[in-house]
Amino acid sequence: MPDIIFQSTKHFWPEITLALTFIAAMIFEFATKKRTTGTGILVLLGLAAALVQLPSAPSEPVSIFGGMYAIDPFSTFFKYVIIVTGMVVVLFSFQSQELKKESGHTGEYYCFIAAVTFGMVLMTGSSNLVMIYLSIELVSITSYILAGFSKSLRRSSEAALKYVIFGALSSGIMLYGMSLIFGLTGTLDLSGIRTALASGHAVTTGWSFAALMAAIVLMLAGFGYKVSVVPFHFWTPDVYEGAPITITAFLAVASKAAVFAVMIRFFYVAFFDNMLASTGVYSSFRNVDWSMILAVLSVLTMTLGNFVAIWQDNLKRMLAYSSIAHAGYMLMGVVVMSNFGLSAIMLYFVMYFFMNLGAFYVVMVIADKIGSENIDDYRGFGKRAPIISVGLSIFLISLTGLPPTAGFVGKLFLFSSVMASQFIWLAIVGVLNSVVSLYYYARVLKNMYLREAPDGDESPIVFSKVTSAVVILFIIPNILLCFFYQPVLTFAQRSIAILLPGL
Amino acid sequence: MIESYIPIFLILAVAVVFGVVSANMSWLLGPQRPNRAKNSTYESGMEPVRTAHDRFSVKYYMVAVLFILFDIEVVFMYPWAVQYRNLGLYGFVEMVVFIGILLVGFVYVIKKGALQWD
Amino acid sequence: MSYTDAFFYFFAALTVGSALVVTFSRSVIYAAFALLFTFLGVAGLYVLLQADFLAVAQIMVYVGGILILLLFGVMLTTRVTNAEITTGTVQGLPATVVVGILLGTLILLVSRATWNVQESLPDVTGTTTEIGERLLTTFLLPFEIAGILLLVAIMGAAMIARSTDKTKEAA
Repeated sequence: MPDIIFQSTKHFWPEITLALTFIAAMIFEFATKKRTTGTGILVLLGLAAALVQLPSAPSEPVSIFGGMYAIDPFSTFFKYVIIVTGMVVVLFSFQSQELKKESGHTGEYYCFIAAVTFGMVLMTGSSNLVMIYLSIELVSITSYILAGFSKSLRRSSEAALKYVIFGALSSGIMLYGMSLIFGLTGTLDLSGIRTALASGHAVTTGWSFAALMAAIVLMLAGFGYKVSVVPFHFWTPDVYEGAPITITAFLAVASKAAVFAVMIRFFYVAFFDNMLASTGVYSSFRNVDWSMILAVLSVLTMTLGNFVAIWQDNLKRMLAYSSIAHAGYMLMGVVVMSNFGLSAIMLYFVMYFFMNLGAFYVVMVIADKIGSENIDDYRGFGKRAPIISVGLSIFLISLTGLPPTAGFVGKLFLFSSVMASQFIWLAIVGVLNSVVSLYYYARVLKNMYLREAPDGDESPIVFSKVTSAVVILFIIPNILLCFFYQPVLTFAQRSIAILLPGL
Repeated sequence: MIESYIPIFLILAVAVVFGVVSANMSWLLGPQRPNRAKNSTYESGMEPVRTAHDRFSVKYYMVAVLFILFDIEVVFMYPWAVQYRNLGLYGFVEMVVFIGILLVGFVYVIKKGALQWD
Repeated sequence: MSYTDAFFYFFAALTVGSALVVTFSRSVIYAAFALLFTFLGVAGLYVLLQADFLAVAQIMVYVGGILILLLFGVMLTTRVTNAEITTGTVQGLPATVVVGILLGTLILLVSRATWNVQESLPDVTGTTTEIGERLLTTFLLPFEIAGILLLVAIMGAAMIARSTDKTKEAA
């Protein structure tokens, strides 16, 4: 046994680094006095240390800790997205005025960011139901605390409470699903479940088959809650609006990436047969029509997200609904369950990272300046703060998916992968939804450029050089990735290897 | 298998019977001559007129949360202690890591003054 | 019906009955006390499944810890605005229909499906040694992660309790 542990830890260093970062930040927090930025820098360094270890991950999938955890290119890709998002969020937090109001507590805030990053990274590689549950809980509990971090704001506490209640329900439902799966297959290990189903060790006909379906639907409820798939999305707008905006950005990008990673692994390893891997499309055991269930969820999610977003006046809340819609788009890639679809999701996450974090950053700096996230208060911003407005416009266009932005390429590949798998109608729904989304994103642009400030105030709103620089830094990839997406695409295509039993 | 629980059920039964019997014995055996002064609620000589529902300090909550967390830690330690000899040095190291993690939390709580009652 | 069956039905009835009280009681205090019996019933079921360690852990953690925490929670919050905390229900009919359908489906599936059952229970005198062995070998990673999870919880609890104090000072 010691040998296995030593072998396993060898591949586990990025995760260990993150865990140590959390503990070190915590010790730093109580050992020093009022050095909150210090904790932030420590966490930033820790995340960077974990990041630089990622390239040395083995290129072939490895199973460690006796099948508990998988190290494969697929999880490594998502770890990049998560850790980089974590670092960006820490950097944003240095600048956030909202957090400065909680003076004396921000040290803890950074500790929690380290912990939640650790949990998300664990999610990407979990290959046992126990690990999946534990890592999701680690992320959830930390997120509850972070969502309610702004104690002085009533809406923040409300967000945390709603998050906890919905979260507890969905995690209970998911656990029940896991127990059914365990009852049917006699194992918690994902590859074990696959073997049990394939070998006929577990009965997969008649009522048992129906029970298995029910178990997976229950599991989907758990996953769906975390990525805010309709009908498990109720918490999203309130939590996104109430949480500190840095956390909202983190939840919208990294948390979604982690759950998509674990959800894809769960379906792919346990229920999909790679016999047809030559065509790049996976068939599921017993020809279960998962794709139909997921396709319906995907359509519901993007349609509801986009249509409700139209009525929102608060930009943060609008971005929450937009992120629901984006979860729907990305779910399309899971629907097709092909190599093309997987790489399209991964590519989309990279694009989504740039456009969403950019948008949230602008909302944050504007809220810090004018104390409002209301879209009507953005009137006349085009003249008063040109760089910021151009930035926000590009991020929103990118979120819509229009050229020449990164979002266009992301959506292009996602929709093509759907069409390649003969889901033409799904692709059409996706495109129609993008058109709807243009309406509410354009409303922000209209307010910024075509309408005067209510009191005719045209005095420029001055943002610091750092702010402008950050916005420009986010604009560049949003434009560049429209034309030079090839390296990212190649990387995504190379990263679709998921650990399977017998590999 | 279930037979090994007979002592537990016995002790449960004894506990219930003892509780019920001793609570009712005094009512059965003792003389009962109530008057107003005797029936009044005794609270350090003061008349207790407030409502029984009162807000408690959040400190109690803190103590309860910490109690659960360290309770769970002990639950994890127990099976290790039973298997200590078989698990040997590696089991010991693994447990030290686990306890070390929680020790940081304990020191944190003390340093942050969450247990101070002021 | 053997006496094991009798015990099973006793504990099952205790669990389900008290869970119903938890759900339908309008007073949070009553619900919390009814939960005590739910936990005890579940512990009894664990005993019947020969999961003795789990049964003791259930009583220690849930009855001895979580329930106390819940009661503290109730005591912390009652009479905040001179209103008894009671639970009400909204959307009763749709909820009943949905839950009814879900319950019916699950009962049907659970009773009809072929479960992957062990024909006989392994002949062990107690599960504690086996759990100890597995916890530090196969389940080492989840075990250590659980440590981190507890650490997060400790920190979060400390943060929540302390900030409440601060607002009290401000008031």
